[in-house]
Amino acid sequence: MTQVNVAGSRSARNGEPGAGVSSARAARPARGAGPRWSFGSAAVAVGAALLAVVWLIPLAWALSTSLKPEAETTRIPLSLLPSTVTVDAYTSVLSNGDIVRWFWNSTVVSVLVTVLTLVVSVLAAYGFSRTRFPGRSVLFAIVVAGILVPPQVLIVPLFDEMVTLGLVDTYWGIALPQVVAPIMVFILKKFFDGVSRDYEDAARVDGASRLRIVWSVILPMSKPILVAVAIFTFIQAWNNFLWPFIVTTDPQMMTIPVGLANVQGSYGLRYAQVMASAVLGGLPLLVVYALFQRHVIRGVGDAGIKG
Amino acid sequence: MGTHGRARHPSPLSRRAFLAGSAATGLALAGCGAPDVAAGRARVRQWNLFGGGDGARLVQMHEQFQDEHPRTALQAYTFAWGAPFYTKLAMSAAGGRAPEVATLHLSRLRGFSPTTLLDPFPRNMLTEAGITEEKFLPDVWRRCLVDGDLYAVPLDTHPFVTYYNTEICAEAGLLDADGRLAPFSGVDGLVDALRAVREVTGQFGASVETTNPWRLWYSLYRQLDGEFFDESGTELILDDDKAVQVLTLMRDLADEGLLPRFADYPACVAMFSNGQAGLSFNGEWEVTTYTTAELPFSMAPFPDVYGSIRTAGDSHTFVLPHQRDRSTEDTRATVEYIAWMLEHSVDWAAGGHIPAYQPVATSDEYLALTPQSEYREVADDVQFDPQAWFSGSGSQMQSEAAAAFAGVTSGDLPPEQAVAQFRAAVLKLLDTPSPV
Amino acid sequence: MAVNVSSTAAGRSGTATARTGSPRTERLAGLWFVLPFLALFAAFMIWPVVSGLWQSFFNVSLAGGEASFLGLDNWTEMIGDAAVWDSLWNTVAFTLMSTPPLVAIALVMALLANRSGWFGWLLRFAYFAPFVLPVAVVTLIWVWMYQPGFGLVNAFLTGIGLPEVGWLNDESVAMLSVVITTTWWTVGFNFLLYLAALQGIPQHLYEAAAVDGASPRQRLWRVTLPMLRRTTGLIVVLQLVASLKIFDQIYLMLDGGPNNSTRPIIQYIYETGFTSYRIGYASAISYMFFAVIILISVAQFRLFSGRKEESQ
Repeated sequence: MTQVNVAGSRSARNGEPGAGVSSARAARPARGAGPRWSFGSAAVAVGAALLAVVWLIPLAWALSTSLKPEAETTRIPLSLLPSTVTVDAYTSVLSNGDIVRWFWNSTVVSVLVTVLTLVVSVLAAYGFSRTRFPGRSVLFAIVVAGILVPPQVLIVPLFDEMVTLGLVDTYWGIALPQVVAPIMVFILKKFFDGVSRDYEDAARVDGASRLRIVWSVILPMSKPILVAVAIFTFIQAWNNFLWPFIVTTDPQMMTIPVGLANVQGSYGLRYAQVMASAVLGGLPLLVVYALFQRHVIRGVGDAGIKG
Repeated sequence: MGTHGRARHPSPLSRRAFLAGSAATGLALAGCGAPDVAAGRARVRQWNLFGGGDGARLVQMHEQFQDEHPRTALQAYTFAWGAPFYTKLAMSAAGGRAPEVATLHLSRLRGFSPTTLLDPFPRNMLTEAGITEEKFLPDVWRRCLVDGDLYAVPLDTHPFVTYYNTEICAEAGLLDADGRLAPFSGVDGLVDALRAVREVTGQFGASVETTNPWRLWYSLYRQLDGEFFDESGTELILDDDKAVQVLTLMRDLADEGLLPRFADYPACVAMFSNGQAGLSFNGEWEVTTYTTAELPFSMAPFPDVYGSIRTAGDSHTFVLPHQRDRSTEDTRATVEYIAWMLEHSVDWAAGGHIPAYQPVATSDEYLALTPQSEYREVADDVQFDPQAWFSGSGSQMQSEAAAAFAGVTSGDLPPEQAVAQFRAAVLKLLDTPSPV
Repeated sequence: MAVNVSSTAAGRSGTATARTGSPRTERLAGLWFVLPFLALFAAFMIWPVVSGLWQSFFNVSLAGGEASFLGLDNWTEMIGDAAVWDSLWNTVAFTLMSTPPLVAIALVMALLANRSGWFGWLLRFAYFAPFVLPVAVVTLIWVWMYQPGFGLVNAFLTGIGLPEVGWLNDESVAMLSVVITTTWWTVGFNFLLYLAALQGIPQHLYEAAAVDGASPRQRLWRVTLPMLRRTTGLIVVLQLVASLKIFDQIYLMLDGGPNNSTRPIIQYIYETGFTSYRIGYASAISYMFFAVIILISVAQFRLFSGRKEESQ
C-alpha cells in the first residue's frame, strides 16, 4: 500500500493511516474519533474558544501596537485598538533595509539547510536500509548515538572549528552544522525499511542504477515522509537562534531571529516599530501555517515526535 | 532591555549597501560575509557601542563623512553597550572577517588581546593622514601602545564629572559671581554643599548610580592615592582602609539622605532631570539628554574631596579588528575616516566628551562650547581602570564591584564586608589563568 | 529516545534481507550513499565532540595563541565555581517549572481541539500558531507585554484592582515570566503530539463505553486518559530534555538577570567561552552539562521503556 499523496489533500481524510507514521492522523479532523459529548459540549466549546482567545491576544496586541502612531503606544490608559491606523512603523522598519536583508539571509540558509538535509539524509538512510557494506551496523549505531548529542553543548568547539575553517560569518558556516540531523536519517531509514522492495527489484531487473532507483522509485513512494521532514527542517532552520547567533557577528549576515534581537536597542522605546518588526518577522511562517495547517501539523508531528 | 540585543542605527548607508549586497549574494554564497560589489569603492565597516545622544551624533557625523567621501562606502553598526558589543567584536576578530574599524574603550585594550585580535596601525599611513603622537596627551598615547606598536587611536577622554542644576544651586547659594558652581573641597565642603542643595530640593543633594558605584568609588579611592595592582599587574594591593573609608563616606551620605539609597542608571539621570537632586555625579555623556530636556544646568569637574581632582574616566578609541585578509585600500580609507573623525571631533565633543585630538581640544570652537569645555582641565587627571584582562569599562571586575558596593548605600552591607567581598572576587579573577 | 514508539507501524512489509552474492563493487556502493552524511556528521558532530573534550584539558583562548596543557585544572576549577552550579540550578529550576504546564495545558488543549470543522481548525491554529514564530519575535512581544505601566499584562492586573508585578526586574518572578512566555510559545508542539494520540484511540473503545452507559466524563477518565498514558510519558521525556537546553528566551528577555538570577548554564558557557575568551574552561563546563543531559536522557529512556513494557 503506497499512499503517494497522503500529505497532499483530501485523501488523508479518508481514514487511511498515513504511510506508516502514527501521528499522521493528526492531520485528519477527528470526525467521529473522539467522544461525543452529550451534555456540557457548549461549555467545552466556550472554554476552548476562551483559551484560543487568550493564546491569540499577544499576537493581536503586537499587531495593534504596530499599527498605532508612536505616541499612542505608551499612553495610559491603554487603548486596545489604534485610534488611527497607520503603517508608519512598517515603512520605517522596511526602509531601514536590514530586515529585508535578514529575510534574505534566512531564506538562503533555510533553503540550503532543508535541501542539503533531505539529500544527504535520504542517501544515507537508503544506504543504511538497502545496502550492505563493511561496518554498516557500527556506523549506523554511531549515527543513532548522535541523536543524543544536544547541539547546544557544542557551540564552543564548533565556533572554534569555524574559525579554523574560515566559515564564521558565512552562509555555509550557519548552514552546515544544521544539516547534520541524525534523527532524520533514523526516521527515513525506518521508513525505507518498511517500504516494499518489489518495485525496486523490478527496476533493477530493468537495469536501473541505484541512484536512479532512489530517484524514481523510492522518492515518489516516500513523498509524505519527505514533506514532513522538509517542513520540520525548514521551520527549525528558519527559527534557529543559538547557532546563527554564535556564528554570525556581521549584522549583514544575520538571520531573522538573530537580527531581530537587535531591534530593541536600536529603536529605543519606539514600540510601534519594535512590534512592526516582530509582526514582519513572524508573518511568513504564520501565513504558511495558516494556509497549510494540515501539512505543517503533520510535518512537525511526524518528524518532531521522534526528535 | 538595552543590555542584551544588539542595536544599530538606521542609516541610509546601510540601505545602499544592502541593495548592492543582495544582488551579489548568490555569487558570494561560498565566499565572504557581506560582499562589497561597489567596485572601486573602499569599504569601511564601522562597529560601535554608542546609543542615545552619542549614537545620534555619530550618525550625523557619518552622514557628513559619507557626503564628503563618495569613494568610500561607510557602513556603521551600533551594538548594545558593554559585554554584548565586546563579545561580538572579539568573536568577529577571531573569525577573521571583522569590520575595518571599531570603537574600543582604552581601558579594555590590553584585556582585548590586541596582538591577536587587533591589527596594529600602519604608522606611515597615520603620519600621512596627520595622526601623530604630539597631537595627543602623552599618557593617553602611551596607553595605546602595546609592545611598541600602536593599536588604538584615541577619539576622546570621558571623565566622571559634576552636573549642577543652576536654578537649584543658585537658590542654595552655591554659585559664584559668574553663575558657575563655586568649587568646594574636602569632605566637609562636599557635605555642606549637598546639604545646601537638599534644603532646596527637599529630596536629595546629588544623584549617583548606586547600583553600580564603581566610578564614584574609584574616583574617591584614587584621590586618597589608593593603589590597586602592583607594578607587574598580577598582585592585588588594594588598600582596605582607604577602600572602606570611601564606602563609609558614601554610606553616611546616603544615610543622611544626601544621596539616594537606591538608584539604577536611568533613575540617576531621572532624579537630576526632574529636580529631585540638584547635583549629579556621572559621566559627562548625558549633556545631550539634559540639553534636550531644556534643563537649566551646567557642569564642573568632580569635586576635590580628598586633596586632588582625580576622577575616574576612560577614553573611546578607534581600533583595527584583526582581519585575515586586510586590504591596503580599505585600511587607507579607514585611516582617512579616523583622521576625519578626529578633525571633526568638536562635533563629537558637543556630546560632552573631551577631544583627545589636541588641535581640536585647544581650538576656539571647542572652548566656546559650554558647558562641555568647563571640565576640560581634568583630562590629565583622569584615572583609567586598573589594568588586567578582566578590568575596564563594562568588564567583569566592574560588575563585581557593582555587586559588592551596591549594598553599601542601601544599608544592606557594611563597608568592611563590601570591601572583603570585592577583594575576594578580584583575587578569584586574578587566580583565573589569563586567556589573553 | 522515543524512537521506537512510532516506528512500529513502519515495519509493515517486513524487513528486507540484503541481496546476497552481490559483487564487491556493488557492496561498496552502499558506502557512497552514506558518505556525504557521514562526512558532515564527522566534521560537525564527531569532531567538535572530540575536540571539545580535548580542549577541556587546555587553556585554549578565543584570542588564539599557544594553549598549554592544564591537566584537570579546568575540571577542578569548575567544581569550585559557584556560577556553574548557580546557572545549572537555574536551568534545572526552569525545567521543573516549565514542564508541568507545558504538559498539562497541552493535554487540555488537545481534549478541547479534538473536533472537526472550521471551529477545530481555528482552535488548532490558535494553539499552535505561536510555535512557528522565531524566538526573537516571541521575546519582543512578551517584553512589550511585561512592561510596567503601559504593558498589557500589568495594565490588566491594575484594571482588575491588583498591584503591578515587576515581571522582568523582580528576581522572584523573572523566571516565572520566562516560563509563562515559554508555555505560550511551545505548548503547541506537545498539543500536537497529544492530538495525534487522541485521534489514534480506537473508536470501538468509546462505543463499548457508551454501550455500558458511561457518561462523557466517565469516558474521559476511563478511556481517554488511560489511553494517553504512554503519550504523556513520551511528552514528559521530550519536554524535560528540551527544557534543559534553555537559553534563547532567557538571554533575549533578561540577559540572565536580574542579577544573574535566571542565567542558564548555556549562557554561562557562552559568557565563559566568548565574553571571557576561555574556550578551554567553557568546554569543560559544556562537557559536564553534556554528561548531565545524557544521564537524564538515559535514565528517562529506561524508565519510559520499562513502563511501556509494563503496559503491554
